[in-house]
Amino acid sequence: MNWTRQHPAWVMFGSMVGLLLFLWGMAIPLSFAPAPIGPVAHLFADGARATVMLTLIAGSIGVVLGVLAGLGKLSKFLPLRWLCDFYVWLMRGTPLLLQILFVWLTLPQILPDSIQVSDFACAAIALALNIGAYNTECVRAGILAVPHGQVEAARALGLSPFQTFMDVVLPQSMRVALPALANNMASLVKDSSLAYAISVVELTMVGYRVQAESYQPLPVFLTIAVIYLILTTAFTTLTAALESQLDVGRKRAE
Amino acid sequence: MVQASNRPIIEVRGVDKHFGNFQALNDVTATFYEGQVTAIIGPSGSGKSTFLRTLNRLEKHDNGSIVVDGITLDDDLRHLDAIRREVGMVFQSFNLFSHLSILKNVSLAPMRVRKMTRVEAEARALTLLDRVGLKDQAHKYPVQLSGGQQQRVAIARALAMDPKVLLFDEPTSALDPEMVNEVLAVMRELAHTGITMLVVTHEMGFAREVADRLIFFDLGVILEDTTPESFFLNPNHDRAKAFLSQVKHGY
Repeated sequence: MNWTRQHPAWVMFGSMVGLLLFLWGMAIPLSFAPAPIGPVAHLFADGARATVMLTLIAGSIGVVLGVLAGLGKLSKFLPLRWLCDFYVWLMRGTPLLLQILFVWLTLPQILPDSIQVSDFACAAIALALNIGAYNTECVRAGILAVPHGQVEAARALGLSPFQTFMDVVLPQSMRVALPALANNMASLVKDSSLAYAISVVELTMVGYRVQAESYQPLPVFLTIAVIYLILTTAFTTLTAALESQLDVGRKRAE
Repeated sequence: MVQASNRPIIEVRGVDKHFGNFQALNDVTATFYEGQVTAIIGPSGSGKSTFLRTLNRLEKHDNGSIVVDGITLDDDLRHLDAIRREVGMVFQSFNLFSHLSILKNVSLAPMRVRKMTRVEAEARALTLLDRVGLKDQAHKYPVQLSGGQQQRVAIARALAMDPKVLLFDEPTSALDPEMVNEVLAVMRELAHTGITMLVVTHEMGFAREVADRLIFFDLGVILEDTTPESFFLNPNHDRAKAFLSQVKHGY
């Protein structure tokens, strides 16, 4: 643990490489497993990749949404604050499954026919909107935790409000918000499984199909659970390392 | 010592400032000249820090006018940006950027505001850190430094913008006693370079030794505006006499 804290960059690199190796290489060892797993090992690998892609895409958009709405909630402009409050209230107050179904069923009706939205994109949009609302509160708390003296120092040096935010407030608020954002991200790995409801072939959907054909739910769902655990562990290791990396400068030298 | 010129650099006329019902500044008028070192003293809550903070609009004044280097301080953001480029500030609690190394603390504003390249800005930062005796600490982070060292970095950071005026808001008040002198030494050296300095301070020795001019604030009003010698030897107002006797008892 001490080593990982002192070398966060290596841990980040290691967990990222580990995740990639796992995603692209898992079909090889899995194919040696007995039926019903072995013969369809590539399906599990495809499902895991879809789950990770969904998590990364929705997670990245969700962070941007969280920063924008978090800022909006702190804005002096009242309608903007209302809008952001409404967004958070709406997304946190309704079930995620409903949101996914809503986007999947209404988006094609709203958009012109020339634009085709895949099931995967619908799931990503709904998940991003959902996690964005939870991120909003984390980002807002992070921004409020930055001492006002930091802003005054930046403004007194002549930095513009935008530069002050990008160079001083945002990095410092992320340091505070990161554990909570990481938590949301780990939840997203699991929440992405709800995309199976709109026939996105991700990990849970793969498990459901394989067990339906083999009538052997126990080994199939155990495998699925282990893959989810490996994924969430990789994500939390990654974010913990990122946290140590950003924490530099806050703790005293040993 | 470089003599103060006759060119006014900050002109304050009839400035008022309220916080709710409390009047922090009451019709303050003063002109500061290029190269002048002014010590601003007074009891807590007398308005001296508020006065300093109105000069770069960290506090917005309610009435009156403030002109810095020919630019009027008003709601025009371009005026404000222009003034903040020329006016540096050193805070009581240092306010170093805690997520940036010492070197980056000093080089950030020249890169962003003066559009220097990283190489230029960092070379300049190292020169300034050398000047305040902290070149060897350049790659550390603020928390790894003592209070005195942090305040010296804060001075280097303000100097990196090459300001015409430096405002010091009680720069030694948050320091342990043994660290006060290292900061005062840097400020003393600066005072001899001809930069305009306004120093809100409780360091009477520094005010007496280094300042060209002394302003005593009480209840939001400039009560005395004179030389340090005449203030310390012969204060005019009873409030100033009472303040001085209390300060002397404190030592």
